[in-house]
Amino acid sequence: GVLAHLEMLEVQAHEAAVKQEEMERQAEKLARLKARVQELRLRRNELRAKVDLQQNRQLGKGGIASDPAQFTTQAILERKMKSVKAMLQLFYLTGISGKLTKRGVCFCISTAYEGTYLDLYYLDLVITLEVQIHCHSIPIFIPLEQLAKKYLQTDIRRFLSVLSDHLNAYVRRRYQADQLQEHFSDQIEGTLQRNSLCNLLVFNYNVSHKGKTFPFNVRLLYGDLCRSLPTEVIVSCTPDAPKFLAETAAAHSDLFRRVALHKAFCSFSSAEERLD
Amino acid sequence: MDSNIFQVYEDEIQSLEEEITLLAEKYEDSQQETTFFSKKELLMPIKSFQRKFRGEPEGHESSSSLIAQLGNLETNFSCLMKFTGIQFTSHSKKTVEKTRNRTVQTHKLSGNCHSLSFQLEFQLLEMQNKDNVSAVVTDLSITMESGEDSDLSKFVSSTEEHGNLLTFFRSFSSYAEWHELRRCTFLHFK
Repeated sequence: GVLAHLEMLEVQAHEAAVKQEEMERQAEKLARLKARVQELRLRRNELRAKVDLQQNRQLGKGGIASDPAQFTTQAILERKMKSVKAMLQLFYLTGISGKLTKRGVCFCISTAYEGTYLDLYYLDLVITLEVQIHCHSIPIFIPLEQLAKKYLQTDIRRFLSVLSDHLNAYVRRRYQADQLQEHFSDQIEGTLQRNSLCNLLVFNYNVSHKGKTFPFNVRLLYGDLCRSLPTEVIVSCTPDAPKFLAETAAAHSDLFRRVALHKAFCSFSSAEERLD
Repeated sequence: MDSNIFQVYEDEIQSLEEEITLLAEKYEDSQQETTFFSKKELLMPIKSFQRKFRGEPEGHESSSSLIAQLGNLETNFSCLMKFTGIQFTSHSKKTVEKTRNRTVQTHKLSGNCHSLSFQLEFQLLEMQNKDNVSAVVTDLSITMESGEDSDLSKFVSSTEEHGNLLTFFRSFSSYAEWHELRRCTFLHFK
């Protein structure tokens, strides 16, 4: 009766209060967002005006006085710092960069496949009476100790150069195999077998001719650890394969010796397209 | 309230923030313009700044630590150039694109390596991935003074074609060293 009715009114009042709170919250949020948008628009317009002014000055138009704040010693110092920092950051593009530490130097060796920069490896050297490798990120299958024994004490530059050759060749071999798996997986049968140094690759791939596919097997051995092209290539087809495929196998074998793996497969696809 | 209206404002906020970042970067670039590095500039700016500061009392504290920092950076930079043999003499960059994960800039770099000079122009795309930064060089253009060596010009055009900036630096510094050695040898026998 009355009690139930009172309860219902209470619930209704409660719900109304909650709704009211929610609406107020949302209105507040909207107001905040609007204010932020205004603030950002203002800042953006300021910056646009500044940039346009700079560009006009560079083009020779407009003789408005430049901002005096940019000529204080502080501003000059900050600009100088920014430019040296930028150069130090860009130095990795050259292949060898580094920074002086309290006990020596920490070198960074960068690797790249053509225009794509890949792994960065570091070598922390402590230089006292002799040069010691304090720590490093060189993978274990790179002959670091051998190279260090040969060059580190007498010619650090040569040591880094040879190490960089090893690292770059490894990274490029790995990149080719990765690209092959990523872009030509439809032509590869089964898994691509490779060792950690990526200097031995074995896999099966399909060659199509006049609508039929033939399985080929290839074994690539990269005998020179400082190179990213194989020294030994064996391409074979199944024993019951038609005779003319032997020519194809020989042509592929020659191609793999001269051209990067993923580029070779790229030329297969385009050659096939041309035939069909 | 319609959640769409919140989305509209939030989208505009994000696009404004990105635009501001790009404009700020463009402003920085034009402030820096081309920076020239010379041996003279690198070896004696500290003394000249310290002298200048005696006349400027305000901001002295922070500026002297800036000077010290700058000194360290410049020492690092000149040691690195001395060690690798690659001396950069000027640099300028323009920001083409800058979002949260992606920066595209065009760079103009000139320098020399054992008296052989070079000028480079390229576009650098840097992307922030989950745990590292990846970089790709495109539109590489290399200008070198030594036109007599046909092998060198062949090397340069093949390097440009594939954007092989790293290989350029690595091979060019060996070539320059060898070139210098040959020049000294010939001089010795004259």
